[in-house]
Amino acid sequence: MTELLFTAYFLALIATLIIKTPIIKGPWLFLLRAFFPNWKFFHAVGHVPHLYARSAVQLSSGELKWADWVLIYPRRVRRLHHLVHNPDTNLGLGQQNMVDHFWADLHDLPEGADPRDLVSYKMMQRLTHQVLRARDVNFSHSQFELRMVLDGRAKTLDTQVMMTSPVVAC
Amino acid sequence: MLSMSFVQMLLEAWIEAPTLMAIRAIELLFAWSLALQTLEYLRMGKYTADDGFWSWQLQRADIPSTTVRAWLDVLFKPRMHQLHLVLRLMAAVVLAVQGASLPLMVFLFAGNLLILIRWRGAFNGGSDFMTLVVLTGLLISQVVGALGNVALGWQAGFWYIAIQAITSYFMSGAVKLLRREWRNGSAMTIFLNGAIYGPLSATHLLRNKWLALLGSWGFIVWEILFPLSLLDPRLAAVFCAVAALFHFLVFWFFGLNRFFWAWLCAFPAIMWCSAQFSARFV
Repeated sequence: MTELLFTAYFLALIATLIIKTPIIKGPWLFLLRAFFPNWKFFHAVGHVPHLYARSAVQLSSGELKWADWVLIYPRRVRRLHHLVHNPDTNLGLGQQNMVDHFWADLHDLPEGADPRDLVSYKMMQRLTHQVLRARDVNFSHSQFELRMVLDGRAKTLDTQVMMTSPVVAC
Repeated sequence: MLSMSFVQMLLEAWIEAPTLMAIRAIELLFAWSLALQTLEYLRMGKYTADDGFWSWQLQRADIPSTTVRAWLDVLFKPRMHQLHLVLRLMAAVVLAVQGASLPLMVFLFAGNLLILIRWRGAFNGGSDFMTLVVLTGLLISQVVGALGNVALGWQAGFWYIAIQAITSYFMSGAVKLLRREWRNGSAMTIFLNGAIYGPLSATHLLRNKWLALLGSWGFIVWEILFPLSLLDPRLAAVFCAVAALFHFLVFWFFGLNRFFWAWLCAFPAIMWCSAQFSARFV
């Protein structure tokens, strides 16, 4: 009996790798997805969403003077004590997860729907605003962009813009 | 000398009373992991405040039911949320000192669900999933125990945790094996470059194609073979020791400290189940 269970368990695992099943989605399923872990970590290499933002100051002529696009991507300095206490790094990882969620939300958005209604859009807007404000308190307008970036072993191989937000006055 | 006799004492206790040792080990490890997570959450008040990036005022629109949203509005008020976290920290201490009990596990389970919702389903991905797995296993042990069979309760709880943990390694290895980028070693370098502590320095060893290839295959093979840990508790101990090293490296390169502790919590269950499973063949 035990051997049968062990074999059945292995067969079930292999079946989940081979058989493609429809993806069930829903707001509660999303919020409670921890109950259905797929345990697929770091498996696929491909285009990854990166968040960029830029700020502008309005000149007396009314024209906007834009700063360069800034990549909003968490980088931290490693410390051994982070093994037991690492809130800042975990917040950075959470922030990048949100960028992934934003990409997924945009991907699932029905044709013609306004992304500005998405919670993830509003969170991205707030994040970019906070990051830009920390760099320059005097900016008057901002804009953000979601780019899909394909990295190779040594350099970036491809970048595609998925979405550019409208210019917002701050 | 002292540490050697301590290890010997631990081994003897593990042989003489394996279930009690496994129970105590999992309770202590889980209490520690939970306390670390909670202390981190307590440091994040600035980011979950109404004007923060993780503001509940923004996130509440994700809740489909107006009734549930109204309840969550109360529970996720910043002061209420902080109070919940302090209670959770105290519950972790109680778990470490007194061990698991049904009311304690129900409180931690319900609280964990709230925290998951507060962070849009998961704050730290896989570590949240594994934390929930161990918590569910402990809850199963207490519910079944309360129904009259304590031994069966722990048996069910341990098997639930062990199967999920073993599956996590197997699946993680199998999906990598199916990807060309992992088989040729390039995926490891790409992920390490994109990591929060990255990118790798220009002279880093893992930029070497052959070392990356060796490392990739080493971990893929070890992950896929993990179910064999059920065949012998000594084998389980070796697999768990390699797993601890693996999770430490994941922390070192990706900053995922919670993964390290969350998976460590599952090791007593894996060891216990391995001893039980292998005994059937002796």
